[in-house]
Amino acid sequence: MTAPTRARRRRRTGAGRVIRNRLLVAVPVLFATSAGMFALGAASPIDPAQQYAGAAAFTTSEENLAQIRANWGIDDPLPVQYLRWLGNLLRGDLGWSTSRHEPVVDVLAARAGWTLLLVGAALVVVLVASLLLGTLAAYRRGGWFDRALRTTAYAIQSVPSFWLGLAAIAVFALSLGWLPAGGLTDITATGTDPLDVAWHLILPVGVLALSQMPWFVLFIRDSVADSLRDDHVLAARARGLPGRTVLFGHALRTGLLPFLTLIGTHLPELVGGAVLVETVFSLPGLGAVTVQAALGSDFPLLAATTLATTVVVLAANLATDLAYAAADPRVRLE
Amino acid sequence: MTTTDPLLAVAGLTVRFQLPDGVVHAVTDLHLDIRPGELVAVVGESGCGKSVLAHALLGLLPGNATVTGSALLRTGDGVRRPSPLDLLACAPRQLARQVRGRVVGLVPQSPATSLNPVRTGRRLLMETLRAHGHARADAPAAADRLAVDVGLDPADLDRYPHELSGGMAQRLATALALAPDPPLLLADEPTTGLDRPLVDHTLDLLRRRCDAGAAVLLITHDLVAAQRVADTVAVMYASRIVEHAPTEALFEAPGHPYSAALLDALPQRAFRPVPGYPPMLTDLPGGCAFAARCDRATPACRVQPAFTGVRTGQVACHHPLEHAQVPAEVPA
Amino acid sequence: MTAAVLTRVRRLPRLRPGRLGASIAATVLAVAVLACLFAPVLWPLDQSAIDLSQTRLAPSAAHPAGTDDLGRDVLLRSIYGLRVSLLVGVVAALVAAVIGGAVGALAGTIGGWVDRVLMRLVDTIAAMPHLLLGIFIVAMLRPSLGAVVLSVGLTHWLSTARIVRSELLSLRNRPFIDAAVSGGAGRLRVLTRHLLPHVLPRLALATTLMIPHAVWHETALSFLGLGLPPHLASLGNMINDGRGSLLAGAWWASLTPGLLLIVVTLALAALTARWRDRLDPRVRAELQL
Repeated sequence: MTAPTRARRRRRTGAGRVIRNRLLVAVPVLFATSAGMFALGAASPIDPAQQYAGAAAFTTSEENLAQIRANWGIDDPLPVQYLRWLGNLLRGDLGWSTSRHEPVVDVLAARAGWTLLLVGAALVVVLVASLLLGTLAAYRRGGWFDRALRTTAYAIQSVPSFWLGLAAIAVFALSLGWLPAGGLTDITATGTDPLDVAWHLILPVGVLALSQMPWFVLFIRDSVADSLRDDHVLAARARGLPGRTVLFGHALRTGLLPFLTLIGTHLPELVGGAVLVETVFSLPGLGAVTVQAALGSDFPLLAATTLATTVVVLAANLATDLAYAAADPRVRLE
Repeated sequence: MTTTDPLLAVAGLTVRFQLPDGVVHAVTDLHLDIRPGELVAVVGESGCGKSVLAHALLGLLPGNATVTGSALLRTGDGVRRPSPLDLLACAPRQLARQVRGRVVGLVPQSPATSLNPVRTGRRLLMETLRAHGHARADAPAAADRLAVDVGLDPADLDRYPHELSGGMAQRLATALALAPDPPLLLADEPTTGLDRPLVDHTLDLLRRRCDAGAAVLLITHDLVAAQRVADTVAVMYASRIVEHAPTEALFEAPGHPYSAALLDALPQRAFRPVPGYPPMLTDLPGGCAFAARCDRATPACRVQPAFTGVRTGQVACHHPLEHAQVPAEVPA
Repeated sequence: MTAAVLTRVRRLPRLRPGRLGASIAATVLAVAVLACLFAPVLWPLDQSAIDLSQTRLAPSAAHPAGTDDLGRDVLLRSIYGLRVSLLVGVVAALVAAVIGGAVGALAGTIGGWVDRVLMRLVDTIAAMPHLLLGIFIVAMLRPSLGAVVLSVGLTHWLSTARIVRSELLSLRNRPFIDAAVSGGAGRLRVLTRHLLPHVLPRLALATTLMIPHAVWHETALSFLGLGLPPHLASLGNMINDGRGSLLAGAWWASLTPGLLLIVVTLALAALTARWRDRLDPRVRAELQL
């Protein structure tokens, strides 16, 4: 076995080690964070029993409310409650949503798909558009397109995504009448026709993508502009390689490497944006449900959503880090 | 085309860089001819502008550079490629497609950073070979042959650049430049950071290319290297060439005071450093730039000296050094 | 024979606004701040006064930004809304700065396992969408002014913590610190007397840059109905209230408050761009909030 092959073998087993290490660190911290959230929930002045009873709380007797509390073990000491909650969590029982009156798991299962669709589509649009625009701007660094793109990006960064959504509705849906103003399907539709859904998603996906684009475009533009002046890119040009090969095989290939891991760090922003866009466009996703849960102080559902999105983001970070290590032979996995 | 026609005739090459706070005069009014089979060395201290020369000829300067002059390349048969071709005036696409790599090769400075870090040496070589017409099937074998030519173990081609030592990276970079077999090779400081045996090896490799019919422009600050392999040496100071002479003549009887001072600075000779510092390229004086450090300077030196034929070479100095006359032709 | 090839002279692209841009930004910001400060004196507003005969009027001379669905002048309410939003934003940014500064100081001075644990905490919280976390905090504490401020503070302290920590780590080994310690200064004294003055400039910039984000966070919460109570009509509340009007075609009630916010944010960004450019790239990367 040659030395290079041996080195590559070592790196591949290193991936397993990295995953194990990440888990070892992530799990305790997730515990700590969830404990913090639990404590915050417990400090809340809200009485879950009254919540459960809802409007009927006013007419329910105090003994009944006390009975409900006892059933749920609310009067037990906090650590006991936390451990019980944790135990349920690990068994897949995410609790009971007090605002929607159904198991949390059901809520997540029904809604998560739409949010994933929205976020996924927006991410694809952002990546493709940013790559095109950013590379073009970097190619003619300092030119009019570059300046215009950067100015526009900085301007859009100052615009809240929900305002953008409302403005888009005002212009495209109401004034011009081109696109629907909200919802996932036509009011008159009976099923979920994919085309109908796609039509309704054009505006939300567009708004979410546009609101996240500045960060991506600016970063890609800077990375590619620097990369195009790299020594090894100049050397590739000097060797007479065709322009396309130089751009894709050399400049972008090395210039966009750090971008890979940074996508992961920007995901939380994307998810936050999704919450707002879903609210503006009345889409039946997790975001809208989260807002309702918050209005109803529904701890189980809120905790589940927050923790679930955190876990997804952490997993995505791990995936991008591994992808980066696979793409760059210089990186030794810790 | 006669054999004494220069392969590359540079005339009046001037390169300026526009910076936010000034203008850098990197190269001023440079004239240089290189013939096939000839190895011309351009020597000078760091910061005299010689490294810009190679990039200027290949059209690789950044956007804030202004280039004037002409660089006529005579390799075309006049049928498929126009001949002579002015490198400084031709379209970038033409440069990229027809000239770079294929006709004019570059051995870049600092090979460690000039190699794509995510590609193995073999992939880089094969990419270059295929871009210049090699058959896909033959490429791996051709890559191995090139590796052996430059003194690399073919197995090392499967390493990534960060796994190579400095010398191995240098050899890989040389192999990459030699892959398309260009008739003109520009070597930009190819021996920096290498130990003496490797320096000699690289220089001999370049000399062998010359003997096989190629032309080589060697840019270096290493005078001993120039002496080893060059046919003629051009001495650069503060963006201008101040002396251009056959190697032996320069080393035995330098005409310009700066050349003499450079030779005196060698450990093998007086080991006496050149007094003073070279001027900043943003702040060049009007007359002879070396006057401030020259003990032969007079008020006449406030005017830029022109090239005059001296013995076997050319010198730009108002008070060139006098040596025992050596009868020889003055090149036109 | 001589062919002159002129490549276009391009300077390094700098997207800082020029003198004119900066002056405009400064003027806009000054006007906004003055308007907010003196609004109660110049244009007193009775928040509960509604005029149902004047609902959803389009912009005109009498009402430059029209009226909302309760007949109230949109521009005037927007200025008051900006007042509230800016105030909450500044206070919240300060809270975040204090929390972050404390955590960063702990991590930077004590170091060791405390540092590692705190930084892991930072990384994990950074992975949480801060709007979701903010919603959670507000939901648990019941939407109110205090809850909103705490929500912003607890989600935005990460960047200041990182900045303070990295500053302290790099300063820790400087000779003047050794001198102070060998002179008998206790840890706290070293921290306050010697280290803080070096950290303050960057901390000040980071806090200022956080203000637009704090305002955005509050506006988003209020828009979702989870922010300030209605009687403290902030811009977010107004944008949300105006949604009904917008869907009926009267877009000014909802979009004008947002426009005010955008203009002020742009002005602030333009002015701090110069300030930020003077710092080194490492800090600029940290400040990508």
